[in-house]
Amino acid sequence: MSALPERKTQADASGQALLKVTGLAYDYSGVTAVNDCSLELPRGEIAALIGGNGAGKSTSVKMIAGALRPRAGKIIFDGQDITGLPAHQVVELGIALVPEGRLVFQHMTVRENLLLSGHVRRARAHCQQNLEHVFALFPRLRDRQGQNAGSLSGGEQQMLAIGRGLMTRPRVLILDEPSLGLSPILVAQIFSLVRKLNEEGISVLLVEQNVHHTLMIANHAYVLEKGRVVQTGEGRALLNDPKVKEVYLGLA
Amino acid sequence: MNLFLQTTLNGLVLGGIYSLAAVGFSLVFGVLGIVNLTHGIFVIAGAYGALVLFTKLGIDPLLAIIPIGAVLFAVGYAYQRTIIQWAISRASLVASLVVTFGVAMMARNVLQIVFGPDVHTITPTYSFSSLTLGDLRIDLVRIVALGASLVLLSVLALVLARTHFGRAIRATAQQPLAAELSGLNTRNLHGLTFGLGAAMAGASGAIIGIVQPFTATSEVAWTLNAFIVVVLGGIGSPAGALVGGLLLGLINAYTAQYVGPALTQAAMFLVLVLMLLVRPNGLLGNAFGESR
Repeated sequence: MSALPERKTQADASGQALLKVTGLAYDYSGVTAVNDCSLELPRGEIAALIGGNGAGKSTSVKMIAGALRPRAGKIIFDGQDITGLPAHQVVELGIALVPEGRLVFQHMTVRENLLLSGHVRRARAHCQQNLEHVFALFPRLRDRQGQNAGSLSGGEQQMLAIGRGLMTRPRVLILDEPSLGLSPILVAQIFSLVRKLNEEGISVLLVEQNVHHTLMIANHAYVLEKGRVVQTGEGRALLNDPKVKEVYLGLA
Repeated sequence: MNLFLQTTLNGLVLGGIYSLAAVGFSLVFGVLGIVNLTHGIFVIAGAYGALVLFTKLGIDPLLAIIPIGAVLFAVGYAYQRTIIQWAISRASLVASLVVTFGVAMMARNVLQIVFGPDVHTITPTYSFSSLTLGDLRIDLVRIVALGASLVLLSVLALVLARTHFGRAIRATAQQPLAAELSGLNTRNLHGLTFGLGAAMAGASGAIIGIVQPFTATSEVAWTLNAFIVVVLGGIGSPAGALVGGLLLGLINAYTAQYVGPALTQAAMFLVLVLMLLVRPNGLLGNAFGESR
């Protein structure tokens, strides 16, 4: 078994990673949540952001997606500075965040949930095709397309949330704790799905507390502690790191 | 028995107008969480607009709904994106209550200065005809008013249910963060929703003008009516506004007929208090869930 991911970090034409974040910082009314978050997501890879509760993972990806405005730092996507752009414009560039807690539109049908995000300008022309693609990935959603999203199980809601992100034809898919609260079988399904989407050409930034699964599939991982990236390395290499083992995998 | 039927008919006609006058208030409350105390101003501004268009240009109040709706849509959008948005972002959602109350007072005074304190009515040619059905009699204007109200409410319901704009409004109300992540400009949508609410209010004003006399001070009553309709029917949906409006119309008509015209207000508030005790979300509940 090879300890390193097969693919090498591939820089694109400009010599930059597809997504490059440096020194992001954010305060919630005076209290610092993120202090210095820096990471890179090379084209076609899976990068992981791991860390405990309150480490600032969700805040960091919300800044990348434009839902929060950073106090400091820079977000470069495909060579373009997108720092401070509002979320609805970031989506149009091809970054989709599947938020923590799924946040599906409970009182709208599954189909309406999907059509809504499928209406973004970058994907509108391919809406039907994208819908078929999402239904092919998640046959359960096809069966329940007329049902209110609030009546779905937790796992189905997670699929819907991911489907909603995919409807925007993202180049970068950011998944914030997709395995949270799911049964072990569903967790395994989510991780194989992430792999599959990555093989289809979507670059993935995965935020997780399920560190073992995450490090197995991530090309590169960043450990966030108290709002700061304190450690970084290749996914499987970190699995054997003594500190990561102790703190995040519960192995002494 | 005939008296009862006649009273019921009158109540339903009145209720249809209450529904239309309240639906914009309900939408704004449900989607933005704002109790818009300027709502009655939009209604009365619509009535004055129809009056001016009718007396100066001879435009029928029902046709006047289109320009009035367009103007109030623009006014509502600008009002939300500036004054209301400023108040909310600098203080809190509650600040919008104070701000809309203050703007309503100023607007009422401006209307009084411009149009004077007189009571106005709009009297198109069909004002004095009536229909009879057996022993029941009803003014043609009232039928027209009810019909126009129902058509406008149905159009709004269809827009909300079937169009991307409607889905966007509902999504923004339910889950603002996810709506933004799905590519919706929620700030703009808040403005558009407010504009839509103002346009519906203005349209109802044009209709009210042909059915009832009005003055600038009537605006207070129309804000209050909208509030009661929402409590009775439920927040955020045209169906809720229709149920609440019809109920309020019936309560009004029965009280005026069988108890005494002086007690209609008392009856309305009695039902309001009972409703808040028994079913605080209204008969049809909140269209956007329990978030507000």
